[in-house]
Amino acid sequence: MFDTSAIINNLAGLLVFTSLMVVICKKATTSALIYSVQSAVLVLVFISIGHMTGAGELYTWAATAVFTKVVLVPLIMYSTLSKLHDPEAGGTIISSAVLILLTTLIMILFFFVANSVEIPIIRRHGLEPLLAVSLGHFMIGVMCIVSQRNIMKQIFGYCLMENGAHLTLALMANQAPHLVEIGITTDAIFAVIVMVYMARRIYATIHTLNAQDLTALKG
Amino acid sequence: MNELLSNAQMLLYLLLATPFITSLLSFACSFGGKSARGPVNFINIAGLTTLFLIALAVIREVYTKGEVFAAGKWIYLDGLSALFLLVLALLAFITGLYSYGYMKHEVDHGEITVTTLCYYYGFSHLFIFTMLIVITTNNLILMWAGVEATTLASAFLVGIYGQNSSLEAAWKYIIICTVGVAFGLYGTVLVYSNASSAMAAAGLDPADAIFWTEVMQHTSGFDHTLMLIAFVFVFIGFGTKSGIFPLHAWLPDAHSEAPSPTSALLSAVLLKCAFLVILRYYIVINRSIESDMPQMMMLAFGCLSCLVAAFFIVTQHDLKRKLAYHSVQNMGLIAVGMGFGGPIGVFAAMIHVLNHSLAKGLLFCISGNVLLKYGTRDTRVVKGMLKAMPFSAILLAGGALGLGGLPPFNVFISEFLVVLAGIETNNFVLTVVLLLILMMVLGGLVHMVGSTIFGERPEQIAKKELGIMTLLPTGALLIMMLIMGVSIPKPVANIVHTATNIVLDGNSSFAQIKPDTRPIPIQGEVKAIIFEGASTQTSQEF
Repeated sequence: MFDTSAIINNLAGLLVFTSLMVVICKKATTSALIYSVQSAVLVLVFISIGHMTGAGELYTWAATAVFTKVVLVPLIMYSTLSKLHDPEAGGTIISSAVLILLTTLIMILFFFVANSVEIPIIRRHGLEPLLAVSLGHFMIGVMCIVSQRNIMKQIFGYCLMENGAHLTLALMANQAPHLVEIGITTDAIFAVIVMVYMARRIYATIHTLNAQDLTALKG
Repeated sequence: MNELLSNAQMLLYLLLATPFITSLLSFACSFGGKSARGPVNFINIAGLTTLFLIALAVIREVYTKGEVFAAGKWIYLDGLSALFLLVLALLAFITGLYSYGYMKHEVDHGEITVTTLCYYYGFSHLFIFTMLIVITTNNLILMWAGVEATTLASAFLVGIYGQNSSLEAAWKYIIICTVGVAFGLYGTVLVYSNASSAMAAAGLDPADAIFWTEVMQHTSGFDHTLMLIAFVFVFIGFGTKSGIFPLHAWLPDAHSEAPSPTSALLSAVLLKCAFLVILRYYIVINRSIESDMPQMMMLAFGCLSCLVAAFFIVTQHDLKRKLAYHSVQNMGLIAVGMGFGGPIGVFAAMIHVLNHSLAKGLLFCISGNVLLKYGTRDTRVVKGMLKAMPFSAILLAGGALGLGGLPPFNVFISEFLVVLAGIETNNFVLTVVLLLILMMVLGGLVHMVGSTIFGERPEQIAKKELGIMTLLPTGALLIMMLIMGVSIPKPVANIVHTATNIVLDGNSSFAQIKPDTRPIPIQGEVKAIIFEGASTQTSQEF
């Protein structure tokens, strides 16, 4: 028999790797594709937790996530990024090596935090690494936002944060009514759509996607 | 009893439906081209008036019953949310009326088209609707979703002029707040998951952990570490939306670039709605675990907000940005009141929610008059207001001095109470620092008033007010500031006391309510708070 906890914790490691790739990847369109892959990993985690805990809701969550996170959001981002070109907005403000180091530090910190938490479902199944990843995943999203020049890539930061929160919900509150999960997902998609709309307006009016060019307002 | 309850439920549904329907009708008017101007103005005024009246009726229901539920447990109003509903209803109504005068000028002068006017009203009412969701929901996730939705609805209002600076402000607003509020989501998920685990262990339905009222009833068995982490996330998340340091950077940009009535709504209502969510978690966490950390966080970040904002208030020359930093400072002051704690500190925080909203609604609207008249927000350029627009000048002076904390205006009362709470809780050093900050802020405001209303009127500026609809609503706000400063009407005092009690011990009932609407002399009120404490005073007098 497979050790489901080990599979889940390994998938969690893959989540960290893919989210780091979304952050450090140079081409924004490639980030959209990697985000789709990372969401697919998240779907697998949902299914695995569902299988382990017997929480049937997680299969529905997984189905919703396939539609919204694996397909819809990456599609919106990819199609928009294909139309908006700003070579000046490429790359990150912080070097990739520093970003990798920061990610490692974040994960170590949250591993200690996760080990000090007393939640029965986590202790029973040995899922502390997954809890650490869900917290760390969220912070990697924050790191993505502050490290990117391209405002469209900053949106991926928000998506990663949302995935982290979603993972925590799946791990610790998978009995939640499906309406809750739909509410979070719908709100997040609206947020992405509005942010993409604003980025397009900025590109059309100010002709830039570079966050460092948005400096008219100071003081 | 059942009939009364169904009346309350009906009112709550109407309360939520009114701005949503008004929003849809306003958007629909955009198809009418130039001929839509009259109808959309009518829809706006009708929608606002209806909302205001329904909100008063709902508050009365809460006042009578203590708490009201609708849609199962999904919609919930208690004395705490009634206070915030009062702020929303009042400020939405007044800034909405002011919008008529403000936008009339903008359309007449070709700054916006009639279609944009329809969008403006549509998004304004949608914005009000989302804030109402935050105030009235009992569902923790919906509370987060509501705060997130306020950002999405109001971002369009911030960027409505489509200029470089307004688009930049809209982007910073949406990215900072969305990311900030994502922290709030994480905190929400942690609290919910912790509560559902605890409730499942107690043999209760874990799905009920989604409701704030249920969580409040089952706060034993929560994980200490997890709840503290959750509060940090909640405080950062919803604190971003409340304009509390250090994630307040969006606020000066968004407030200054938005149309003035929107700035007034953002400052007077939105910041408070987000703070209400923090309060909800503050209450839960205080009840579930024994820790000073939430209170210390309120105190530390409140003080830092006041301090940082004060420097910008003094050095800033852009009128609306100056007022925006005042919002940061005043939200900080509310947090300081909470941080000092005790009946006086919490009462001070609660009454300052209302007092600051009145003052800031007035000042942002008047800043709109200044902008429309002079074409600039630079306080070094705006001169001679007394000669150019005397009524607006008087309103600006009254509002600014009132906001600075001069008696007999309302802000003096709440600032005095915060200082008193500091002394009562032996925070002498912090209280002295706070007093210095308040003096600095007052100095900044007095300088601003002196430089703008006196002096010679520039030749190109005609001596004429902008219209009655830009003066009447703001004049009403100044009168309310005076009334709240001289003699707080008893129903308002009752609502503030009940909100205080809920924050202090989670008790949602209006104790021993009598249908007495006589005003309480303010000296008696303050004396009662000083010598008896807000909780005692509530149960004895009402």
